[in-house]
Amino acid sequence: MEKDAIRAAYRAHLLRHNAPPTSVFQLTQELGIAESEFYQHYATFGAIDRDIFRSFIDDARARAEATPEYAAYSVREKLLAFYYTLVEQLKNERSYLTLITQREPFHNRLTPVYLQDGKARFEEYVEELLIEGRLTKEVVRRAFLSERYPAGFWVQLLFLLRFWLRDSSPNFERTDEAIEKAVTLSFDLIGRNSFDSAVEFGRFLFRS
Amino acid sequence: MSDHLPTSKVARAAKLAGAGLRVGANYVRHAVRTATASEADTATSRARLDNDNAATLYDTFSQLKGGPLKFTQLLSMDRTGLLPAAYQERFAMAQHQAPPLSGPLVVKTFREATGRTPLEIFDEFDPAARAAASIGQVHFARLNGQALAVKVQYPGVAASIRSDLNLIKPVAFRVMGLDENAFGEYVREVESKLLEETDYALELRRSTEIAAASAHIPGVRFAHYYAELSGPRVLTMDWLSGQHLKEFLATNPDQQTRNTIGQALWDFYDFQTRRYGAVHADPHPGNFLFSAENGGTVAVLDFGCVKEIPADFRDAYFQLVRPEIYQDDAQLLPLLRQLNILKTTDSPEVRALLIDIAHTVLPLVARPFVEPEFDFGDPSFQTEITRHAEALAANPLLRAQREPRGVPHFIYVNRAYFGLYTLLGDLQARVRGGGA
Repeated sequence: MEKDAIRAAYRAHLLRHNAPPTSVFQLTQELGIAESEFYQHYATFGAIDRDIFRSFIDDARARAEATPEYAAYSVREKLLAFYYTLVEQLKNERSYLTLITQREPFHNRLTPVYLQDGKARFEEYVEELLIEGRLTKEVVRRAFLSERYPAGFWVQLLFLLRFWLRDSSPNFERTDEAIEKAVTLSFDLIGRNSFDSAVEFGRFLFRS
Repeated sequence: MSDHLPTSKVARAAKLAGAGLRVGANYVRHAVRTATASEADTATSRARLDNDNAATLYDTFSQLKGGPLKFTQLLSMDRTGLLPAAYQERFAMAQHQAPPLSGPLVVKTFREATGRTPLEIFDEFDPAARAAASIGQVHFARLNGQALAVKVQYPGVAASIRSDLNLIKPVAFRVMGLDENAFGEYVREVESKLLEETDYALELRRSTEIAAASAHIPGVRFAHYYAELSGPRVLTMDWLSGQHLKEFLATNPDQQTRNTIGQALWDFYDFQTRRYGAVHADPHPGNFLFSAENGGTVAVLDFGCVKEIPADFRDAYFQLVRPEIYQDDAQLLPLLRQLNILKTTDSPEVRALLIDIAHTVLPLVARPFVEPEFDFGDPSFQTEITRHAEALAANPLLRAQREPRGVPHFIYVNRAYFGLYTLLGDLQARVRGGGA
């Protein structure tokens, strides 16, 4: 039995009944497989939710990277492309996400279990982008702050996810605007800006 | 940050309120200047005030893409003297000011329309926009050797246009000193046209239809639109060759070429207004590309703003430029009443003034229609029109009129003809429009 099939069956059950199956046994019965087969792939239903969100992140990244335009993008544009691909894909998953986030709302600080694997993958991706961004001078290394950047971008992703879930504009056009502006702002902040000049000026005054 | 757009309605309202305050402050400065200045300086101060206000408003408008930008462009097209020259200049710049969409958003929008990314379809696609309009931007692409223009619309434009207009109206009317309520019908006409411009499916259909219907007119070129590479927010069309008016005029085209192009433009507009029943109503220079090849041709771009002309309005409108009508009050007055230029509620002085205006202005603007061959390069014609417009704008009795005149169809049909006259004037073309 394919891992994907178990995942799909779980999702379908969740969407049809507005609740997860009452037991692993019930789900494996529906699928016509032995319960033990389920555990080869997942320990709990919660693990499936985690895996689903991880797959959203991985798929969005893979699809964004697969477009011929991607290679020539700046780091800022790469992240934009990732977000746009993500929200485009999530259109097929809106009901699932609405349901799961209603059952367990997410906050900026406390990441619910079902987002944790996805968060790890996203932060890995952002780390890679930031390294590239330092080479392209789009990102400035700053004491104490630099290591907080990935966490900051995770908060940005959660913000955009929340914005999208509440967006009622046709074709979620408002979310496109939100992505455009949020990413521009964040790269204005982590790029060289007046903050750095202020710090340097402070240092200079302190030394002299 | 100049590329930071205020998003929420509240933020936009705050922006505009700020502009209103600053316009107010400019007036205070003007009052102070005039109170302490001699007679001669007062005029200078007034010009400076107009300049200050235009700068303030323009800076605000340029941060609010979509509706206001278009609205100001429309105002800047107004050649009736309603707007002082400073506003016109500033607002005419508006079309060059819009923050570009990011590359990924262009790709996303394109993929939504066609299912594939630009580079998956085209052999070449320039991620940097070649031109920006107030509601979108244009990219260059190439497919099988054919150069293409891909127009991509900003997200959320259609949705935000109405609320932006509601924000801009009080400021715009205040600047012009007009009564907003009396203009409801006119504002609706403008709003509906602005909203239509965001409908790319409509633009595709109209441009295809007008191009097909106008194919017989020599010297006018149109882009072919590719429906399969277009969508609600994307339009793909041929990249037309040619130069913008200023560059073209800088090459010193000979009189014959000017006349050929001028004639092509005249015939194109004449065909649209009189026979086709709908007219390309956005004739600012940026929407045409000129070429001296093949004796002189002009390419027509951007069919976002098309005015459909009802037959009864068309008939009445073209009666106005016939000498046997405007020289005969028995025929002219009922016509003016039908077009709502004269109203039954008018006082005798206002009525006399309006009839007087009709007697002087109509023979003037009708000249290209009446004379067998008309020279738009004749400087006296342009000065004469400007002089009349200024005199009308300065007329105290007319200024005291707080109500609009004329049926709303005038707005866009006049806009088309004012634009055409200006283009032909800049071209200094001799055109045979008479006998029509």
